[in-house]
Amino acid sequence: MSETTISLRNAPSEGRIYGYFILVLFSVLLVSIPAVAQEYRSGWDTVESGTNNDLFSVEATGDEIWAFGEEGIVLGSQDGGLSWSPANVITSSDLSMSDSGFGSILAASSDGTVIIKFESASQWTDISFDVGEENIRGVSLIRNDSAIAVGSNGSIWKYESETWSDYSVSGVDLLDVSFLDSERGIAVGDEGAILFSEDGGITWDYRDSPSEASSSRIIDIEFYSDIRAYAITDNGGVLKSSREISTQVGFLWNMQYFESEGGSSNLGVNLTSIEVATTNKFLLSGSGGYLSMSKDGGNIVTKQLIPVDNLTSFNDIVMIDGFNGITVGSGGTILITERSGEDEQVGFEVRDFSEFGSFVDYSKGMLIDGLFATINIVIFGIFLGFFLGITLSMMKTSPTTLKQIAEKRSLNLVRLFGALAFIIGFAFLNYLVPTVEGLGLDGWEYIYAPIGIINPGGITGDLQFENFAYLIFGVSLILLGSLFISANGEYKKSERELFGRTVSWNPWGVRPLNFIATIYTDIFRNTPLIVQFLFIHFGIQIGALIGDPAAELLEGSTGFIVTFLRDDILSNRACVSAIFALGLNSGAYQCETIRGAISAIPSGQMEAGRSIGLNYMQTMRLIIMPQAIRICIPPMGNEMVNLVLNSSLAMVIGYSELTRKAKLINAVTFQVFWSYGMVLISYFIVTWTLALILRYLENKTRIPGLGISGGS
Amino acid sequence: MENVLSIVDMHKTYPGGVHAVRGVSFDVMEGESVAIIGSSGSGKSTVLRCINRLIEPTKGEVRLRGEMINIPNADINDVRSRIGMVFQSFELFAHLRVIDNITLGLRHVRKMSRKEAEREALEVLEKVDMLDRKDAFPGNLSGGQKQRVAIARALAMKPEVMLFDEPTSALDPELIGSVLKTIRGLADEGMTMVVVTHEISFAREVADRVIYMDKGVVAESGPSSVIDSPQTERLKKFLSSISEED
Repeated sequence: MSETTISLRNAPSEGRIYGYFILVLFSVLLVSIPAVAQEYRSGWDTVESGTNNDLFSVEATGDEIWAFGEEGIVLGSQDGGLSWSPANVITSSDLSMSDSGFGSILAASSDGTVIIKFESASQWTDISFDVGEENIRGVSLIRNDSAIAVGSNGSIWKYESETWSDYSVSGVDLLDVSFLDSERGIAVGDEGAILFSEDGGITWDYRDSPSEASSSRIIDIEFYSDIRAYAITDNGGVLKSSREISTQVGFLWNMQYFESEGGSSNLGVNLTSIEVATTNKFLLSGSGGYLSMSKDGGNIVTKQLIPVDNLTSFNDIVMIDGFNGITVGSGGTILITERSGEDEQVGFEVRDFSEFGSFVDYSKGMLIDGLFATINIVIFGIFLGFFLGITLSMMKTSPTTLKQIAEKRSLNLVRLFGALAFIIGFAFLNYLVPTVEGLGLDGWEYIYAPIGIINPGGITGDLQFENFAYLIFGVSLILLGSLFISANGEYKKSERELFGRTVSWNPWGVRPLNFIATIYTDIFRNTPLIVQFLFIHFGIQIGALIGDPAAELLEGSTGFIVTFLRDDILSNRACVSAIFALGLNSGAYQCETIRGAISAIPSGQMEAGRSIGLNYMQTMRLIIMPQAIRICIPPMGNEMVNLVLNSSLAMVIGYSELTRKAKLINAVTFQVFWSYGMVLISYFIVTWTLALILRYLENKTRIPGLGISGGS
Repeated sequence: MENVLSIVDMHKTYPGGVHAVRGVSFDVMEGESVAIIGSSGSGKSTVLRCINRLIEPTKGEVRLRGEMINIPNADINDVRSRIGMVFQSFELFAHLRVIDNITLGLRHVRKMSRKEAEREALEVLEKVDMLDRKDAFPGNLSGGQKQRVAIARALAMKPEVMLFDEPTSALDPELIGSVLKTIRGLADEGMTMVVVTHEISFAREVADRVIYMDKGVVAESGPSSVIDSPQTERLKKFLSSISEED
């Protein structure tokens, strides 16, 4: 017996300090590098209007652009909207609406003030009339010298041959009118009113508005073409009418549901106007700095950036052509665009990945996401695997044999139990017979029966794990039952002559817990991990089976950890599957590792523990396990590193961990060497950290005289 | 004197078919110290281990104060806590300090509080003269010290009988003395004990009775004086072979 004395604490060697230093450096680097986001610039530019009055309306015709506003202000531009000068107009009413077409431009105030500028005329002509008790709310030209005005209480006036005549209808307030040509026009108003005229505004018919809009104020209408008309409600809805096979535009109206708003029919803003640029492209303006655009007829409406503050209320937009446009708003705001107001991407829109720096810049965020995803499944996998490993290794080393169990009972009791077990086992198997027959198997195909009975209905059927349990319990109970029935009180091994040789077997020596654990480890160690991943995720769908109900259970909790568990782990099916696949597989291997460590503890330790009166479990818990765990730290470290590396297989079930991220980065950048190289380094950092921690733990828990300590 | 331990017709056949013990019977009285001697492979360790059922005897009876203990329904943990066992290779729990080695059984079997257990432990440590190393790890002790701690560990349970399985065979000659002294002290206090030993001089001095085993049977037994005047040829031969070694 050599007398060895080993110091308990090992001073950290220089190499380890260096390692920690590198680690800290890496973490600091990762945290400190600012993320470069893609930047956007507004598609609108501010131009000087020379006034602070609110501008309500804007029109474009030919080369001229005109804006109308508060206190009769009229601004004109001859250069596409870049510079503006006030026109000489003698009115002080708020010019809140306007229309252009057929070469003329018309603007009006609710009090009956109407001014018109005919084609090629240099001056504005006053064609105001007396509106009585009512207000004008909308105007539309129907020829170069003829117009329709609509207003409160169903008022409709027509200007023709220099006189206004009344064509009012009884009904609600009308808020806007738009004519496609001299004949066809649509008027809209309160309570979802839509009126249609086919005779230049003399007679009007009500049209059905969509039920969703029946109580809304339709405030703006644009009769854009033979095939499309748009209208908006002031609370953020867009109505659309299209020409259908046998129906002209303007008859059938639909509420637009916005994909971009999660399928809602409400944009959640107060709209002021709609400007249609092409059949499917329109712009919307609203209060609170709202300018938006849709390029697909309203499926996706995107709010666009503006170069002014959000207090600006935009009142009208005009598109000169498909791209150039002008919008006017409160406080004399005029914005001009050359790209229909669409946000402009600046910065890294077109990335050049030929430089390593820019490649790293682009990919590091994804890699860090992947790293966290990997760490998530690894940590939970390790925990699951460790507890499984401990349990299984204890089961595997359990010394209780069937003989010991039976010996303690009277022979009759053993036989009675045997008979009962046999009957129950037989009943289980009998229950399965119709299912197995229904599978239609033949000959050796029966080896696949366990899969068949769990899911006899295929993809359309449910998983019936109880069938599998019946099979397992049925077979084992029948075997156990037969053995117990045959008990004669001796519990000795049996010997038989088989092919001229003496074969002996000892069913009484079977250790039941060991048997169960062995089946488990055999299954998981003799099948590929990648198949286990696929089977657990797509076959068993453990995420739906366990993750979803567990997440539901945690619903409503607000704790940080619980929320993390629920939202980031349990709700992510691929994550749950990955954790289970890794954990269940690792458990089988860890079981063997721990079992090895247990066998490395001298049997005298168990004897010593038992000799002072501890029972088996106490001895395991207090004496064997504490020593075994210390011994198995190095091989466990190996196992955990393996688990980290194996976690890369989670990519096959679509879990976005490191390796999958590398694939994605490669798909974008085509930098094969860099993509996978960076992932290599990332894995190395994780596993190396783990190894360092384990090495530290090993030194920390080392006890003198136990195992070969070696150097540090 | 009361009969503490009685063994009747004990047989043990190992799974490999070795018939190690072939019908051994003897009694141990209260306060008696019995030495079992014999050459290697004579079955003496097996007999000892069969007594507290670390090995299950194939056949035969073991009675502790008249109570049959080798039946499946006996409370084996209780029985073992009443029989102290000291091993050849000490079998201290390497991950526990000396004092925790001793308190383990007291706390988990006797259900004592930590404080109570530690008081008991200090008492027995004093008895084996190991009080000053109570916070050491077993790995940092010498062999003799380890064995004395192991004795203390068994002693702390206040056993009715102590079994020593070659307590000095794993020790360097200069370390044997302290252990034997401790055992002799226990014998003088009147502890009932069975000692399997190779130390003939120790058997002669300490044991009230000597049992010589050969080939699985008791070849000769009697008071310690049989060592000086062996009756059988086999014991004579054994004793002479030992003295030659010395």
